[in-house]
Amino acid sequence: MKWLQSREQRELVEQIKASRVRLYRLAFAWCHDTVLADDLAQETLARGLSRLEQLRDSARLMSWLFAILNRCWIDHLRGRRNDLDDDALAELPSDLPGPDGHAERQQTVNRVRAAIAELPLGQRQVVTLVDLEDFSYAEVAEILSIPIGTVMSRLCRARASLRELLAEPAMAPRRLRSVR
Amino acid sequence: MNDERDFSDERLNAFVDNQLGAEDCEEILAAVATNVELGQRLCALRSAKELVRHAYGNVPAARRRLNRQVPVWGGALAASVALIVGVLAGWLGHHATTSVKPPGLSAAWAGGVFATEPARILIHLDSAKAEQMDAALDLAEAYLAKVGSAQVEIIANHRGLDLLRARTTPYAGRIAELKVHHARVGFVACGQTMARLQRVGEDVTLVPEAAVTRTAIEHVAERVQEGWTYLKI
Repeated sequence: MKWLQSREQRELVEQIKASRVRLYRLAFAWCHDTVLADDLAQETLARGLSRLEQLRDSARLMSWLFAILNRCWIDHLRGRRNDLDDDALAELPSDLPGPDGHAERQQTVNRVRAAIAELPLGQRQVVTLVDLEDFSYAEVAEILSIPIGTVMSRLCRARASLRELLAEPAMAPRRLRSVR
Repeated sequence: MNDERDFSDERLNAFVDNQLGAEDCEEILAAVATNVELGQRLCALRSAKELVRHAYGNVPAARRRLNRQVPVWGGALAASVALIVGVLAGWLGHHATTSVKPPGLSAAWAGGVFATEPARILIHLDSAKAEQMDAALDLAEAYLAKVGSAQVEIIANHRGLDLLRARTTPYAGRIAELKVHHARVGFVACGQTMARLQRVGEDVTLVPEAAVTRTAIEHVAERVQEGWTYLKI
């Protein structure tokens, strides 16, 4: 029982509990579905807590948790489409709901979320891990189990696409869909 | 200097994301002083980054699934069941030995939980499927029968709460019997799940043996922190 009761162990559990908000936010950025994002965050916490003994380096707790989140997300997608290999998953086109179009004060937020929703899954994951969570490219590569060069190329394509999408003055009519 | 080669988008992104070494950063900063187009490209990349941050600075509140019909994560479920089967096989079969290491548990966990100290097991149920309710109760019963001093708790949330709801549980008698025979068994309901059900008019009266905690996930975290072994059905 010593291992479980160590200060490090207690701190890890506290950090895992505190990470729920971050996990939910990123899951929401990936799926734009508040129920699914909550499920993904909850499952990540449950898996993390039950597999804590597998964590080799406590300093890398967050990247370990986000890797679990990625696994949960892929499991979810594969549950819907069991014919997808890794490459097909990364290029999976968006079927995400668009943002709420009637809240004017949220206009910028909605436009950016709509643009993010347009990105293929692999690009969406990379850009949100880098921009929202401040992970290094090496950490993102580890979380998503892809080469660092792929992280960089996906990030380039993602930001280029965002720039184009956000420059479109008339993007709203096509992309404003109802919110789940 | 060939800007297209030396200041590729990938390199500029790395600059914006603080992924370059000091030397590379200095080179880019020096070039920006004389290269307006480069400055504009950097500005556009920074702007894209800031917009993404802004877009998810405040996300909508999480909505909990009330009726999770089919487990989304089949692999996790299978792994959990396999873990429990492994625990039962390993633990019940080799109780007398102190060096037993049930499949799926690390030496650290096994050494702590399965040695001389009383086992403290937290079983997490979030499904109303009969076989999963059965598995949770079977595990609790088997453990308590084998180790009289063991402390076992079943924590129920989401649809798993049905196990502890007076109107929905098929196992009220079994729960009562367990409690009569084992003072150290506990049944805990997730208060958050109860509140959600109440909001939609559901009767959430619990069996008398059940206690209520604020949220299941916090309860799990606290128990793990206290040294309990956590098993998800």
